[in-house]
Amino acid sequence: MSSRKLKLAILAVFIGLLVSACGTQVKRVDVDKTIDLSGAWNDTDSRMVSEEMIKDMLERPWYRNYTRKHNSPPAVIVGEIRNLSHEHINVKTFISDIERAMINSGQVNFVASSNERREIREERKDQDINASEATRKAMGREMGADFMLKGSINTIIDMEGKTQLRYYQVDLTLISLADNRKVWLGQKKIKKLIKNSNLRY
Amino acid sequence: MFIREGLPLLSVRTTIMAGIFSVLCGCASYSQSFHTVEHSLLNNDPASALAALEKQSHSDRDLFLYHSNKAMLLRMLGKFRQSNEEIEKAKAIIKKYSAISVSEQTSSFIINDATRTYIGTPVEQVMLHIYAALNYLEMGNLDDARVEILQVDIRLRTLMQDDPNSPLSTDPFARYLSGIIYEELGEWSDAMIACRKAYEAYQTHAALYGIAMPKQLERALIRMADKVGLDNERREYEKKFGLRLADIQAKNNNDAELVFIFNNGLAPIKRETSIQIIEPDSGQLIRISLPYYQKRNTIVAGARLQLKNDHEFVAKTEKVEDISSLEVETLNSQMAAITARALARAVAKHKMAKEAGQQNGLAGLIVNIAGVLTERADTRSWLTLPAEIQIARLRVPAANYSARIELLDHSNNIIFQRSLGKVVLSRDRKYYLSFHWASTSETTRH
Repeated sequence: MSSRKLKLAILAVFIGLLVSACGTQVKRVDVDKTIDLSGAWNDTDSRMVSEEMIKDMLERPWYRNYTRKHNSPPAVIVGEIRNLSHEHINVKTFISDIERAMINSGQVNFVASSNERREIREERKDQDINASEATRKAMGREMGADFMLKGSINTIIDMEGKTQLRYYQVDLTLISLADNRKVWLGQKKIKKLIKNSNLRY
Repeated sequence: MFIREGLPLLSVRTTIMAGIFSVLCGCASYSQSFHTVEHSLLNNDPASALAALEKQSHSDRDLFLYHSNKAMLLRMLGKFRQSNEEIEKAKAIIKKYSAISVSEQTSSFIINDATRTYIGTPVEQVMLHIYAALNYLEMGNLDDARVEILQVDIRLRTLMQDDPNSPLSTDPFARYLSGIIYEELGEWSDAMIACRKAYEAYQTHAALYGIAMPKQLERALIRMADKVGLDNERREYEKKFGLRLADIQAKNNNDAELVFIFNNGLAPIKRETSIQIIEPDSGQLIRISLPYYQKRNTIVAGARLQLKNDHEFVAKTEKVEDISSLEVETLNSQMAAITARALARAVAKHKMAKEAGQQNGLAGLIVNIAGVLTERADTRSWLTLPAEIQIARLRVPAANYSARIELLDHSNNIIFQRSLGKVVLSRDRKYYLSFHWASTSETTRH
């Protein structure tokens, strides 16, 4: 290869590298793969915490006691889960992860939330006027929930220089709607050590 | 040594340097380039200011300012959700660029401080959280406002770590606002701690630039001490402030509270001051440019809020945060480091020009010109921030009211009034209402 051609080849490789570094890169990843970017609460935390906590909830004595007594699975509703952490956590995705874990377990009946119920009642009202008698769904036959799940996400932060220790604590409480008894208390903790660089290019 | 037509290089140099002086006078700094936005703001027209801001080009280094300014203008337009989206973008820039950049440090050493990515002054960083919290409060989203005050606590802890002895490492209003939010959430002990910290901060800041302790904080301290059962502390406060718990407690169970936030004027603007000398031996021009703050004074001293239905209730605002003075004091505390950097840069530039001049006279001249032309002070700052924040807390029976604001000058004369529409006050929630008054005399043109 002549020296001119070699120079051209080096230039082409250099330009190629430059161009590839500038464009937006998209890579599809498995939704179950854990990827920590900033150290903040993420989808993995939400999924992991909800699955583990619901599994724990359904293995505890209150569940056996209820099914033995009533001979049917309990009906559960998810109430408010408060974000008391220092991050803007999307509580709605956490609630849907909890709902998914509960419904997929097949061990509880799951009742729609108050917002969803309102919409369904509107639909039933509409059916009352417009649907045929054979397909019309009657009012007043809703399943009432036996238990309500409430909770909060808390954080404690400790830091020194560019290093941060983030401690997340998720508390869930299952309350009996009949008599306000707390039948289960669940707690899940996550600890993350985040080291931010002192230097960048 | 001669260049064209036999002119001695030294005299050519002097002529060129004179030209550079005039060129430099015409160069626009960041604060000057903000004129069109400011012009609309001074007419209290945030919509036009926002349009002007979006029309401007923004370098990647100044994106923090673009997002912060946009957030403030959107807030003035009542678009609180969009305002917080911009604040989150500005916060992400702080997080991304907080580490020291090797390349930017080099360029700031060779060129000027404005070549670094701007991530806000400590005051501006704290203000981002304060305004995000206020936006959430005005949207009725108390839990998200609580997230912001937790974040501001982390920010203040970082400032304290960086400079433990500086009174500027704490912010009185950030603490007081935390107290207001915790109080509303019924988290009495946290509210008590926040109010105590605010009390301490107001005392140290009063010694620094003369901000007075707000009367409403005195009342909050007594209320919170009572809530958490600190009777001795409550009695001490009562004695110190000349107030009695019985007089400040809610007289009626049906009482609701309105918190009115008045954002007065515009934060100070950074200017550039330069020293230029011609070094006699080499004939080289040496220039050192430093920033300083110029306050943008407003004729408005305070505001009066009226709530009216069958009855009329009036409250006057109190200054709770003096952003202007805080910014000035913060810059003063940083001036030693800024000056040292400018001097080191002048020495480096002088040396580079001298070395180039030894090789080739013309090259030396060019390096000297480049060095002088690029020597500019970093005049970047969040220009849509108000000069001060004032608050009035009004406890009235829960009902519907029409709200009205009157702006007062230093002699208590009404110079402006406007209706703020209907407010519906219920006893289970505080109601937050804000007003921005930007009008001052124009400053960015000159």
